[in-house]
Amino acid sequence: MSDPILSVEGVVKRFAGVTAVDGAGLSVGAGEIVGLIGPNGSGKSTMVNMVTGEMPADSGTFRFEGRDITALPAWRRARLGMARSFQMLRLFGSLSVEDNLLLARHISMKRSMWESVLGARPAREEEEAVRARARELLGWFDLAPFADRKVTALSIGQQRMVELARGVIADPRLFVLDEPAAGLSPPNVDRLIALIRRMRDEFGISILLVEHDMRVVRDLCDRVVVLDSGTKIAEGPPAAVTQDPVVVEAYIGRGWKRRAQA
Amino acid sequence: MTRAALITLAILAVGFVAAPFLLGGYELNVLMVALLYVILAVGLNLATGYCGQFSFAQGAFYGIGGYTAGILSRDVGTGFWMNLPAGIVVTGLFGLALGLPALRLKGHFLAIVTIAVQTLVYLGLVQWNSLTGGQNGLAVPPIGETTLFGVRLFEVSSLRDLYWVALVMAAVFVFVAWRLVHSRLGREWVAVREDETLAGAVGLNTTFAKLTAFVASAAFAGGAGVLNAHAMQGVTPDDFQIWISCMVVAMMVVGGRGTFMGPILGAIALTILPELTGELARYKMLIFGVLLVVCVTVAPEGALGRIRKARENREQAASTPAPAKDPSEASA
Repeated sequence: MSDPILSVEGVVKRFAGVTAVDGAGLSVGAGEIVGLIGPNGSGKSTMVNMVTGEMPADSGTFRFEGRDITALPAWRRARLGMARSFQMLRLFGSLSVEDNLLLARHISMKRSMWESVLGARPAREEEEAVRARARELLGWFDLAPFADRKVTALSIGQQRMVELARGVIADPRLFVLDEPAAGLSPPNVDRLIALIRRMRDEFGISILLVEHDMRVVRDLCDRVVVLDSGTKIAEGPPAAVTQDPVVVEAYIGRGWKRRAQA
Repeated sequence: MTRAALITLAILAVGFVAAPFLLGGYELNVLMVALLYVILAVGLNLATGYCGQFSFAQGAFYGIGGYTAGILSRDVGTGFWMNLPAGIVVTGLFGLALGLPALRLKGHFLAIVTIAVQTLVYLGLVQWNSLTGGQNGLAVPPIGETTLFGVRLFEVSSLRDLYWVALVMAAVFVFVAWRLVHSRLGREWVAVREDETLAGAVGLNTTFAKLTAFVASAAFAGGAGVLNAHAMQGVTPDDFQIWISCMVVAMMVVGGRGTFMGPILGAIALTILPELTGELARYKMLIFGVLLVVCVTVAPEGALGRIRKARENREQAASTPAPAKDPSEASA
């Protein structure tokens, strides 16, 4: 196999004396869905923010398709083919659903900004093509009727779908999903699981998934990395990892076994 | 909005074109000043309204444009048509310089820095005697005869002629602003305003977006400054104090920042209104100040922003049953 899509090694991040991530690493292979789990405060979000470049790491290396991206800011990483969603929904609030998608596609527009300012025909045609693509994708996410709606007029569940569509339209090789199931009702979680699987199967997008909902993790992930106190304590297929005593202990605490036996 | 904006623009255009045939010198002069402020406010709206970068330095850029014209006329002997592009470029470069702190500062802190820049420019104009003529300022020749390769094209001699130049210039700047905000660049400005972190996460170069917004914003003021200098046939530092910046901010905010027509209407209204109030005009700045405070407190989105919001609410109310049909609605 060639280089993994993402490989992260020996990452350390300290906040005012607290070590949030302490030497952890992970990798995502081509076409893989990798789960990143762990109890609250285990460093998952910090890890994700360092992977996508929102937050600099104190030390460690980040490689994307074999290329060292450690020093690159978030926007450069996005241009290499990395998309993300946010734990707290993030959308361009005053813009329409379609414009939210359009902005995520700016990076792969070939015509220069100045052609767009001048209103040159090739630039207009390119933008029309992207708008058509955006509407097609919105159909895929059951959002077609809302294309022209202001994004904040949608329900939270729909806004989550817009976030996913925004990631997909950029044609990323890696999509980092930060708790996509948070706040979704059970039927919507089912829908989310199906959509994420289709994103991998139909678009070949590799996925790094941070998630608390174990059902989502079990159903989707090929492999799971477990963090606790900023270090990797387990890695493997979801079924095996969730049975691992070390993992159970990290989640539930020491002594549960003794008490259970008593 | 786009259609309403075009209709409003068309009505304004008819009014401004008809004005010289209907109005006397005094009224025409007021309208010409209004056109200058339209350029200033529309320019400021690019950085502040669309890109979300507050600036109280528009008056300083207005002055830099004017002084560029004055200095070039004095030292190089160029006329209006050479000074205009030069003033736009020079002021744009100053805008780039102001954009640099904006890369690190946000909100109030940025606003304070722009006030400092505004003050520094004023002090520079006062103190740098050899270059700027100090407190006395500089004399600037009128636009006068315009020739191209020795062929006399036209002459700008009367107030009426000047008014036409101002109207054409304002129209050109408004058109450029229209193109900018309806391009990919303008959309990226709005993205930076809405959520800078997200803008970066989808791969937008936020540095480029902010700097271009500041450059464009300043360049507009520079253009207005050159025209003002030639129209007034002189520049003095006191014409470019922070009050000018505050007035432009008031015009933009009252009209509606981030809307296309808001700053245009705001600039026209706030220039003309004091002229209609007679004796009260003395308290112009006081009234603007109160207006600004009231506006920011009661309707921070400005007059047009308020109208737009009301329309959106109506549209949403009209379509509330629609989202309920969507299966994901249950999750809200």
